[in-house]
Amino acid sequence: MLLLLAAEAAEEAGEAASNPILPDMSEMVWGVLSFALLYALINYVLLPPILRARNDRAATIQADRDAAEAARARAVSASAEVDDQLSGVRAEAAELVDEARAEAEAERQRLVARAEREVNAMQEIADGEIEREREEAMVSLRPQVADLAADAASRVMGRSVDASAAGPAIDRVMNS
Amino acid sequence: MFGLEYPPIDNLVVWPDALFEGTILGFNKIALISLLAMLIPAAIFFFSKKDLVPRGLQNVAEGAVELVEKEVILPAIGPDGLRYLPLLLSVFLFVFFGNIFEVIPVFQMPANARMANPMFLALMVLVVFTFIGFKYNGAKFFTDIAWPPDVPVGLRPLVGFIELLSTFILRPFGLAVRLFANMLAGHILLVTFGVLCIAVASGWLFPLLALTFPMLVLLTGFEIFVSFLQAFVFALLTAVYIGLSLHPAH
Repeated sequence: MLLLLAAEAAEEAGEAASNPILPDMSEMVWGVLSFALLYALINYVLLPPILRARNDRAATIQADRDAAEAARARAVSASAEVDDQLSGVRAEAAELVDEARAEAEAERQRLVARAEREVNAMQEIADGEIEREREEAMVSLRPQVADLAADAASRVMGRSVDASAAGPAIDRVMNS
Repeated sequence: MFGLEYPPIDNLVVWPDALFEGTILGFNKIALISLLAMLIPAAIFFFSKKDLVPRGLQNVAEGAVELVEKEVILPAIGPDGLRYLPLLLSVFLFVFFGNIFEVIPVFQMPANARMANPMFLALMVLVVFTFIGFKYNGAKFFTDIAWPPDVPVGLRPLVGFIELLSTFILRPFGLAVRLFANMLAGHILLVTFGVLCIAVASGWLFPLLALTFPMLVLLTGFEIFVSFLQAFVFALLTAVYIGLSLHPAH
């Protein structure tokens, strides 16, 4: 009988203790200790290095971005500088081309003038030679022309005509 | 009908002390899980490298930190709540790792399916947001709750009573019961399908295993999600309560 009562009492006590809604104090103590330790570790030991690493990474990324931005700005500036230099060089080249063109034109005109002069000189020489040749031919032909004219006149007139007497008339005809 | 022997609830959630039996330091399975819920996140953070390019455990640690920062603190409190990151991160990790043991073989018991940890955490949250409210608003924190200035004078006693009850009783009670009940229900659900699988596996109802076992697997996956969700909700509500204490006018 006593055993039965003790068993019932133990069962009731067990039921009361195992109510799943009520917290178990020893579990709560371990929970409090575990959480307090976790909080302390995270707050003072574990989280700061993680945040530091993250901040370092953010700083590195920012620095890299800044460097990239600076490099881009430098590239843009260098490109503008090159463009400026190129436009200067182009202007200089155009100026040189103009100068060369003007020089070439002057040279061409000079050469043309010289050629014209030479042509004129040669023409004058040729004219002189032609004149001289013509005069020489006139001189060399005159006796024969005089003879032929005297002969022709003799035949027309029926009497002899002296070639020397016809000289002035022949000169007049040949010079006209 | 199936000859199913469902274990009593005590067998599912009450664990005998393995050490210091009968004392306030009685060490049972729940105490072990609480310790592991502290040791595992601490180990993850401790052993994670702090490289410029995160890999492995560092991703896990930084992911947890960013989750609490961006999804808990900033929406619920704002940038001035970042000083509570260690507390809220600890709450999130402790609750999550206390929950996740629900699906870890051998343990298969969430520490928060017992009332001790949810109640302690809820009381801690109560103390924290009350302290913060008093620190940043002085006695006005209490008087504005008990005697709300924007409410018609005739209604103030009633609204004040309701606000007092809501702030100092229902908030912590809701926090504790939400976590505890969800985890206990999930645990019972898994046990139910586990028992069902064992029961049908040995008899002529064997083909039913094709239904019960996939359900057990699905529910296990679902409970992993619930473990995370409950930890997130607990941390988020803690942040909301802290935010309300910092900026009571909101």
